[in-house]
Amino acid sequence: MQLNGIQIDDTFAEAFNMRGTRVIITALNLKWAYHAANAMTGFATSVIGCGVEAGIERELLASETPDSRPGVSVLMFAMGSKVLMQQLETRMGQCILTCPTAAAFAGIESEDQINLGKHLRYFGDGYQTSKLISDINGVAKRYWRIPVMDGEFLVQETTGMVRAIGGGNFLILANAQQAALNAAEAAIDAMKKVPNVIMPFPGGVVRSGSKVGSKYPKMFASTNDAFCPTLKGLVNTELSDDIESVMEIVIDGLSFDDIATSMRVGIQAICDLGEASGVKRISAGNYGGKLGPHHFKLHEIMGTI
Amino acid sequence: MNALTLTLKLNLQVTQASKIDSNKINCSRLTPNSLANLSITEIENFSLFNTKNSLKIADYFDVSGTDTNHIIFKNSNAQLEYIGHKMSSGQITVEGDSGNFVGCKMQGGTIICQGNTGDRVGDQMRRGLILIDGNAGSYCASRMVAGTIGVYGSVAGYVGFGMKRGTILLTKTPNLHATIQNCGTHTLPFLALLFQHFAAFSTRFNGLNNQRVQRYAGDLSSNGNGEILVLLS
Repeated sequence: MQLNGIQIDDTFAEAFNMRGTRVIITALNLKWAYHAANAMTGFATSVIGCGVEAGIERELLASETPDSRPGVSVLMFAMGSKVLMQQLETRMGQCILTCPTAAAFAGIESEDQINLGKHLRYFGDGYQTSKLISDINGVAKRYWRIPVMDGEFLVQETTGMVRAIGGGNFLILANAQQAALNAAEAAIDAMKKVPNVIMPFPGGVVRSGSKVGSKYPKMFASTNDAFCPTLKGLVNTELSDDIESVMEIVIDGLSFDDIATSMRVGIQAICDLGEASGVKRISAGNYGGKLGPHHFKLHEIMGTI
Repeated sequence: MNALTLTLKLNLQVTQASKIDSNKINCSRLTPNSLANLSITEIENFSLFNTKNSLKIADYFDVSGTDTNHIIFKNSNAQLEYIGHKMSSGQITVEGDSGNFVGCKMQGGTIICQGNTGDRVGDQMRRGLILIDGNAGSYCASRMVAGTIGVYGSVAGYVGFGMKRGTILLTKTPNLHATIQNCGTHTLPFLALLFQHFAAFSTRFNGLNNQRVQRYAGDLSSNGNGEILVLLS
């Protein structure tokens, strides 16, 4: 399949079930909402080493937030509910509680609730107070007011936890490192406009795609040598002679359709750059379909345009 | 469904009035949770007191409407006491004045008082919201456990006497007793949420957006985690 002179491989991205949550971070202004959210989503690129994968989903206008202040929404994903709960509480305590003027609210409805400020309240040392306030639908929500040095830290008691999918991906194969990076940036710019997804790696792009296993017994993942351009003559490579750089975009989302949409938008943005951009192929990472239950077939995704 | 409306009869029969010790009418059984799932006939024959010869609702009120989750008292005056006693859900709107002990031992829901109220509003209240457009009598929020009371008019003495937790929102600084402490002026972000909630009701609190308040904490003779917030202009 060719789109605007760029080959789309007949392959699929393999993704896994995860648990996800959304938190709305507000502050006195957008600058401090970003400080809080950037800290909270820092060191959260991959569950392999960080416990969770997290990112800023989008900016929120003051009219969209519970306390009518500017904010951002953060999505956070983990392989299981226990890790997600632990990581959320830790990050709330170290990144949101500490950030001047920041407040945190539930960003997703679900029967499954996980703690947002439920335990954080004890930082108030007995001076914390709770308020049970109904939302516009008449549903009562509990909030905690924790006295802190800049005034009061306002945090909702819990937020929802939902089933989600992580590990949607595609690979950008280009004839130069700069070309791959330019294409990846174009894709990320387009994909950031899609709701319910995050691209958790630095700038949304990962250059160190991995394969399962290693020659070293203690390593359970190692470099994806089949896509490493400098190993073309040494390994069973997936790369043709003209490929010099490969970059990957990994997507976590709340549903299959959300991830499929973001992949379509991202790949389309790259294909719009055309052949002259230096991008030769779009491929995807999978494990032969044996590990992840969700398969994002590139031809099916791009065929629906 | 229309709200269940209890219109106080203007000229109560002397014989009926003589059956009670005073001219006070105890409304403690007239709450959404007590009257839930009753037909209009059952409500009319509902006893004001849980006794065999108790007077019925129809002896005092004209009854209309069917939605027991929202009860409206019309022609209300200070005779009506214990409005919203132990109520746990729904809404009561008092169109007029009300007597003592509005929202006493309240467990949830909302009471809107469009007139003045008597003494001990929200006494031992644990949860819920009481908004008073007029003035409140003395010992407002006495022994309050938690919840929120807003008084747009003035409050008489000993506001928050013995309160453990909870929030009292006022527009004028009241006379405070010694165990209520001044915590200074603050901008409290949680008020934005509270004001949004207030917007659901037709009261003078509608349209508030100033989060700047003078905060008093107390009652230190009890728990001291309650607060009296006086809105600053």
